Amino acid sequence: MNWNSLVVIVCVMVAALAVWKEYVRPDKANFILRISAVLLAVIALACIAIPLTYNADVLQSGKQEAILLTPGFNADSLNKYNNSRLFTIDNTIKSDKVKWLSSVNELTSDSTITSLRILGDGLNEDQLQQLNHLPVVFKPEELKQGITAISWNEKLKAGDELIVQGSFKNSSTKKVKLLLRGLSTSLDSVIVEPNSSADIHLKNAPKISGRAVFDLLTIAGNDTLEKEDIPIQIEPSKPLNVLLLTSSPDFESRFLKNWLSESGFGVAVRSAISKGKISTEFINQPKVSLDHLSAQVLSKFDVLISDLAVLKSLKGQEAAALKSEVTQNGLGIITKPDSTLRSDSWLQSSFATGRLQGRDTIPSFILVTGNDQKLGKLSNSLVDVKFQTGSQPLIHDEHNHILASSILSGSGKVIFMTLNSTFNWVLSGNKNNYTALWSLLINKTARKVPGTERWNVSTAIPTVSSPVSLQAQGTVSKVQLVGKVTLSPQQNPLLPFENKYTYWPQNAGWHSIKMNNGSLNWWYVYHQQDWKSLRILKKQTDTKSYIAKNAIMNNVTKQIQKKARNTVPKIYFYVLLLITSTFLWAEAKLSQAVSSSIKQEVKNNLKI
Amino acid sequence: MTKHSGAYKIRSILSWYIGYRVAADVLFAAAFAILIASIFSFFTVFGLLIFLVALTLLMIWHRVWQVSELAISTYLNRHYIQLEESGHLFIKPEGELNFLEHLQLSKIEPELSLIPVQQKQFMKPFFWGVAALLLAVFLSGHLMGIGSNGILTHYKTNFTKANTKPGVVEKVLPQISAVGVTITPPSYTGKAAHQQDKFSILIEEGGMIAWKITTNIAVKQVSILFNDKETIALKSLNNEQTSWKAQKQITRPGFYQVSIDGKLSDLYQVQIIKDLPPVIRIKTPKQYTYIDAGEAPKVNIEAAVNDDYGVSKAQLIATVAKGSGEAVKFKEYKLDFAASFNRHQAQYNLQKLIKLSALNMEPGDELYFYIQAIDTHQQQSRTDVYTVSIQDTAQLLSMDGVLSGVNQKPEFFRSERQIILDSEKLLKEKDSISVEQFKSRSNDLGTDQKLLRLRYGKFLGEESESDIGGDENDAVSDVKNYGNAAVILDKYTDKHDNAEDAGFFDPELKAQLKATLTEMWRAELQLRLYKPQDALPFEYKALRLLKDLQQKSRIYVAKTSYNAPPLKLDKRLSGDLSKINQQVNQQDIKPAKDGQADLKKAVIILQHLKLSADLNDQDRYTLTSANQQLSVKASAEPGVYLTALSAMRRIMSAKNKVQAQDISVVEKAIQKTLVSAKKTPFATQNPADMGLSQEYFKNLNHLNR
Repeated sequence: MNWNSLVVIVCVMVAALAVWKEYVRPDKANFILRISAVLLAVIALACIAIPLTYNADVLQSGKQEAILLTPGFNADSLNKYNNSRLFTIDNTIKSDKVKWLSSVNELTSDSTITSLRILGDGLNEDQLQQLNHLPVVFKPEELKQGITAISWNEKLKAGDELIVQGSFKNSSTKKVKLLLRGLSTSLDSVIVEPNSSADIHLKNAPKISGRAVFDLLTIAGNDTLEKEDIPIQIEPSKPLNVLLLTSSPDFESRFLKNWLSESGFGVAVRSAISKGKISTEFINQPKVSLDHLSAQVLSKFDVLISDLAVLKSLKGQEAAALKSEVTQNGLGIITKPDSTLRSDSWLQSSFATGRLQGRDTIPSFILVTGNDQKLGKLSNSLVDVKFQTGSQPLIHDEHNHILASSILSGSGKVIFMTLNSTFNWVLSGNKNNYTALWSLLINKTARKVPGTERWNVSTAIPTVSSPVSLQAQGTVSKVQLVGKVTLSPQQNPLLPFENKYTYWPQNAGWHSIKMNNGSLNWWYVYHQQDWKSLRILKKQTDTKSYIAKNAIMNNVTKQIQKKARNTVPKIYFYVLLLITSTFLWAEAKLSQAVSSSIKQEVKNNLKI
Repeated sequence: MTKHSGAYKIRSILSWYIGYRVAADVLFAAAFAILIASIFSFFTVFGLLIFLVALTLLMIWHRVWQVSELAISTYLNRHYIQLEESGHLFIKPEGELNFLEHLQLSKIEPELSLIPVQQKQFMKPFFWGVAALLLAVFLSGHLMGIGSNGILTHYKTNFTKANTKPGVVEKVLPQISAVGVTITPPSYTGKAAHQQDKFSILIEEGGMIAWKITTNIAVKQVSILFNDKETIALKSLNNEQTSWKAQKQITRPGFYQVSIDGKLSDLYQVQIIKDLPPVIRIKTPKQYTYIDAGEAPKVNIEAAVNDDYGVSKAQLIATVAKGSGEAVKFKEYKLDFAASFNRHQAQYNLQKLIKLSALNMEPGDELYFYIQAIDTHQQQSRTDVYTVSIQDTAQLLSMDGVLSGVNQKPEFFRSERQIILDSEKLLKEKDSISVEQFKSRSNDLGTDQKLLRLRYGKFLGEESESDIGGDENDAVSDVKNYGNAAVILDKYTDKHDNAEDAGFFDPELKAQLKATLTEMWRAELQLRLYKPQDALPFEYKALRLLKDLQQKSRIYVAKTSYNAPPLKLDKRLSGDLSKINQQVNQQDIKPAKDGQADLKKAVIILQHLKLSADLNDQDRYTLTSANQQLSVKASAEPGVYLTALSAMRRIMSAKNKVQAQDISVVEKAIQKTLVSAKKTPFATQNPADMGLSQEYFKNLNHLNR
């Protein structure tokens, strides 16, 4: 006997009993109403027990919607999709109800599936590609807590600062501390307030050289929530060759010479000591005649530092050689102005200077443009550089006078700098400031090294057991070796010097590719659990962009009419049952009251 | 007979009561003494003393000896109804009992015999006492458990003992059954030798360590390896070869290992307490002292000398500079302080009064001095040089400036100078003239000073005292002026700040003039008190200020400059330079080798070790070299680097997976050791585009043309 008939039989019996009870009830005042109420109550009871359904015509898009569960889905949200077929490609999610697929391909090969609803964090790029333009519905949950963006300078030169920037979202009610750790030592930290998302900025100048993995820890109270790897590579910088020309021997060039030669730089100094007489000095450099600056001589140097007066006094061939070396071959010039504020010389025409007066000539703090950290005080020279379009201010003082500015001149750069007593810093033992200032100026101007080979990892987070795409630029031998694995190139159809390689790393850690010159190019592969929040966000955006790309396909799907069986919500019957029962109860109470009052009257009457 | 038994019973109850009471007091006192002694870690004798004091106080409080039999009988009456309030009858002598009392007594006598001799009530304090004692013993045991002696000493020992790092347990070789390390501090500390049973050592610089190691089995050889370099063999003390001994003087910090039959132990640190040089602080005088003319030519030097162990000597070294210009002569004196340094105390307060005249110092001379102190360890320290100079009055009194300059108000200045000269003359003649004469001359000088002051006061617009010259010109007393209001008004109105008088000088000058007047006032006061000696400093000050004033009111005209002969321009820069060679220098400066390169490489290897355990020979070599550098660091600062060094050794000897904890300890130490990387400029790289961008640039140039 099935449920429905059982319910019907029981209900009929109950109804019969109730009606019989009503019939024998002495008070017949509301007999009809009571009978109907009783019957309605029994019917409502029956309808609660038996789900009532009806058929209706519905318009439905021609979707055979399947549901794909990905990590991070909410189990409660599954109730809505009881009728749908559930799939997953994640081993941990699979269960009796959820069918596990080895790849997304299986979904697309099933022709009955015309649309897909993705629950959870979404799919990655490769998986989305396998979907083969299948329409997708995707409504991800917002990320609650974690790093939402991160970036750092992975390749550093010795002495450079590692700068980690990013943003962090903290939805918890606790403060979260982000800690940069290197060599198991805390280096810098930032605190994100509760219920806020903040930009983070951590920095430290690593003392080591070579490769290292720093950590970024997310700490709430005493719990470490996440530990992410920050791989960095610190390369030693190659010494450059610098030519110093001065109109007279002075301290500035002497200190500069000493500082540069200390680090193994090649330095040549030419200073005029009398009329027609010059003194020359070569450090870490072969002797060459500096009496005449020919193109051949100039080509040996990367940077030329000189007084403007000396450069302006160059005549004919020398001047032409210098100009072509700068504009054509990228020689850098750092020059200090002479007493003239303006001239037509090609070196000075792009810079205007102004005299400083009064308060402005007092020694003031020097700042590197774009960096708030003050260097030491220096007595200003009496002129500053006026800003002009096309120039890039590099150094300024605390009153915002530009003291060094750079412009492009052909393929080279010219820096105009008015400071001429930076050696005071060295004298007062403030070598860091001196280094910071001159490193900046020389970095900006130095002739660029011709590039022959350059490798990039174009995958955002290279991960174990997922493809990593490597990009090589330059004259690269066609077949590459990573460890013992051979990679074959995919040449860019437009740029002949660009090749792409795909590699599936087997284990986490540093991996290398041997470059043409024999040195190794290293890159880091993360564990699968690293950068969880970033991965989730990446998947979400990838999936969303996939939907955006395939939106047209989605709209085209035709709509068809279909008969559907709908269930009547049970709440109606509950309400009906409640109303009828209430009526029956209230009626009994009222009639009792009436009958007792009648009895009273009768009694009274009797007394009378 | 029965009567006696009743009284006897009462007495025995009383004695029980006293017994319990006293016992309870003893217990309470003992509990108190134990608690106090354990908190302040006193010795047994002191604890006993506390006990006795506490016991006496308790006894006095309770006054057990005052408790009488009557009190006991009252107590019994109160607690036992059957005695019918007649307990006192037992105590009464038999003869005094009347008939009724006899009857009553015979009635209650059997009842009394039923009452127990040991009342529960009496035992209560005793049991409380027992409880208090137990609690005290428990608490003190707990307190002793924290430190070796007590709470207060616990914190002390934390600082002084080397090996009290909580949680760090020394790993000792299994053959060692006992170790005794005797630390003998050097003699300069004046401390006694002490013993410990741990290997980690904290010792004063230059102290002696003696090890006595007892092994549980016979061993062939025991030695101590210092800083990985120095080996000390221990000598066997007995035939069984289980007791070994060695000693060593310690001058540098470091670490050591115990080796038994070639098996090395853990690393133990030897930390050194350095002796600091004595600290000298001069309280008076100031760094630069100027003795004005007329002031007493003496300096009182007060200084404090401190040392961590003891000061053995302190000396004042003074140099007197005489003369000026090229004729300066120096003479050095070494002056001892009055204090005796025989006892080598840690602190001395020194005082010395130097009479400058005793050093043959005259006006214009200068005294330079400093204090030098030597501690018991023969470490020397000295203060800065302090200067005392005596004003040169000769220059002040000279009339050079006054005579040759613009002679504006010479008579005023001359008179102040005159007063000084007169005062000095008076002082010189003091012994040869009578007291009255001295006093009257001093008073006269005072009058002169007053007159001078009044004259200067005029410049400031001060009220002038018109009665200097007597009352002859008093207009008010003149009969002719009777009733003339104007005259009276003139005399009695306050007319200072007269615009005509006051407007001559600028405020700065006025202020100085005022200061001069103040000095004059003071000088006058001393002169009037017949103390010309005390007046002198003020007179000199006034004179100096006046001279300054005079200089200020002068106008200087700079000397006309030297006129150079005109240049012959045709000759300029025409010198023959042909024989001057052009200087060409060449040198190679190789950048200094990075001494920490191996440490930096070791970091890479350590990071690699976190992932896998395989090391090649090159890596091992780098780690060994880094280990050496750490070992050098550890021998200098064992407290900081020793844990890292032992972690490094564990890493190097590890067969399988290395402990992550060890790696992080070593990494921390390396980060601490490394100096910040030097920043050098570098060139950026062009894109590796086979000249594509270069081509683009050239074509762009082409178009521009």
